[in-house]
Amino acid sequence: MYGRPDRDGEEQLGLLGSAWENTAQHWQDGVARQFETDHWAPLAERSRAYLGALRTLLDMLETAERDTEF
Amino acid sequence: MTRVHADIEALKGFREALVRFRYAEREVAERADDAIEATRASLAAKASGWQARLEQDRAALEACQATAAQEEAPADCSAYARAVQQSAERLEQVRGWQQRVDQDASEFRGTASGFRDLLETSVPRAENQLQAAAASLEAARRVEAGPG
Repeated sequence: MYGRPDRDGEEQLGLLGSAWENTAQHWQDGVARQFETDHWAPLAERSRAYLGALRTLLDMLETAERDTEF
Repeated sequence: MTRVHADIEALKGFREALVRFRYAEREVAERADDAIEATRASLAAKASGWQARLEQDRAALEACQATAAQEEAPADCSAYARAVQQSAERLEQVRGWQQRVDQDASEFRGTASGFRDLLETSVPRAENQLQAAAASLEAARRVEAGPG
């Protein structure tokens, strides 16, 4: 049974964020800092932007369905 | 696990988490597309239904008006007129939502396309970077440990 995809996506991003925090505790060299700047930060930011847009869209789709149930 | 290898294990663990994330979010994106198409189909069916209902109500109104024109005492066709008006309003409302969904889905498509590109290109690149970093650390530890 699926829930709303935006919520599942946010949950996955949360899990990945926790995994990164755990990794960052153990990996603290220059390569790690470069990885955070080049990969992790953009990935997290773009994922949040997508999931936010998806949430707005799905809210609108639900409203459209409700508003046309006569 | 010794402390000296904790970073390598953490790197490998995060790489595995990234792979899981990539697959899970790809499915999220597919379900988002499905949701858009499902709503479009639903609204199209509603529009079709209310279009048919409007034509039916108009025919009933015209029949009432034709009958009224033939009779000495005019028949009351106001209920038929109200039904036509209500069907027309509901059809208009559904069509308004169809336009809104098309417009918002079109705007969303740009963000979704960027996210798919992230999943298909940037995330695998990050996975490769982690793999290379772990390999590099492992090689350095072997050198530090020396022969034997």
